[in-house]
Amino acid sequence: MNILRAVLAKDLLSEWRSRDRLPAMLVFALLTVVVLRFAQPGGSLGGDPAQAPGLLWVAYVFAAVLGMNRAFALELENDALAGLALAPVDRGWIFLGKAASNLLLLVVAQITTAVFFSVLFGVDLAGVALPFLGIAFLGAVGLTAAGTLFAGISVRTRYREVMLPLLLFPLLVPLLVGAVQATAGLLADGRADPGALQLLCVYDAVFLIASFLLFEYVLDE
Amino acid sequence: MNDPTETRFERRALAAEGPVAIALLVTSAIAALVIVRAPADVVQGVLYKILFVHAPAAFAAYLGFVLTAAGGALYLWKNDEQWDRLAVAAAEVGLLFCTLNIVTGPIWAKAAWGKAWVWDPRLVMTALLWLVYLAYGLLRSFSEEGPRAARFAAVYGIAGVLLIPLNYFAIDLFGGRALHPENLERQSLGVGIGQPFLAGTIATLVAFLYLLLVRFEVQGLRVRVERARLDEASGEAS
Repeated sequence: MNILRAVLAKDLLSEWRSRDRLPAMLVFALLTVVVLRFAQPGGSLGGDPAQAPGLLWVAYVFAAVLGMNRAFALELENDALAGLALAPVDRGWIFLGKAASNLLLLVVAQITTAVFFSVLFGVDLAGVALPFLGIAFLGAVGLTAAGTLFAGISVRTRYREVMLPLLLFPLLVPLLVGAVQATAGLLADGRADPGALQLLCVYDAVFLIASFLLFEYVLDE
Repeated sequence: MNDPTETRFERRALAAEGPVAIALLVTSAIAALVIVRAPADVVQGVLYKILFVHAPAAFAAYLGFVLTAAGGALYLWKNDEQWDRLAVAAAEVGLLFCTLNIVTGPIWAKAAWGKAWVWDPRLVMTALLWLVYLAYGLLRSFSEEGPRAARFAAVYGIAGVLLIPLNYFAIDLFGGRALHPENLERQSLGVGIGQPFLAGTIATLVAFLYLLLVRFEVQGLRVRVERARLDEASGEAS
């Protein structure tokens, strides 16, 4: 637990000092929303409400991939990653620390994007703010659990920035189905489909446990 | 000819190649005969016979993906390179059969359903797995050969198999219509189809085994050539 806190604090401190990941994620997510808005058939107000949840999650996934790519790219400088690997601690906890900092940044980006999105697409998210936040959080946990593991892999391959989405997207389908269905239910009649929430929770649990155990082999120097 | 680095598992795999090749010839000849002689369907004519390739290819593909994960897990556990070679071979041969399955499906569906692609759960699931193992191949070719690449691939192969049950629930939730028969036991196969189906399945699985063995051997040779080249280079340098 101490390790988790130490890695999280280190990541947040370096983010606070450099302030490069969060702004990049925010601007990228907002730009994605704008592009998606114009990718829809015209109309002066709002977009197609049926498509809104899916488009919002596309923006979230893009922002998450951008942020997680940076998370490990920073560690490569000055061989900080080797330092982490040499630390005489269980690497699963290092993973959780990394994932927690990714999660925190992603949730901030999600909330900001949601506000912008609800204005541009004419979707009322304010009325269901709390349950929406819950769904966004569940989705973000799964995204960062799988994403942090594969960012650790992709950063040490050729074409690192390209490799993360290639590895991650095929694995994200169940998460996206759950998150989009839950959000759609919430926007349509104020309550999320319990099956979708269940799927989100199971996905989160599976990838948290698997990544916790498998990170050992990813960080192995 | 005897390589001291060859493991017992590898020697057995090599020795099995010949007999399996003969078995492949025999079983595919039998399958071809039985399938040709199987009665034509009242509605579909001979078209339905693609099933004798389509369904077994799916079995072989799933077997390949499970073996990829098993090989990866054994490699991480035992740290023995031969399991990584097995995982590579299984992933590639599995992807081949998965491709065969995905290609034969639409050929049949276009004629029988009138549409080449439908959002049927089993179809979507196989297509998603196909993408996962395509990414597995990319991961291998984009990372430097060596223990690190093997570890990364093992992690990804294990995650890919974890995805199978999750996808199953997701597609159910997504609302795909089930157009595939629930099970392929005797009841759901028509009269006179059981035998060719069995023959096709056996022949396909033997073909899978043969290709797996050959690919396993090739991977072993590739690793040795790479190592010999490195040794030579370091010998010149010193």
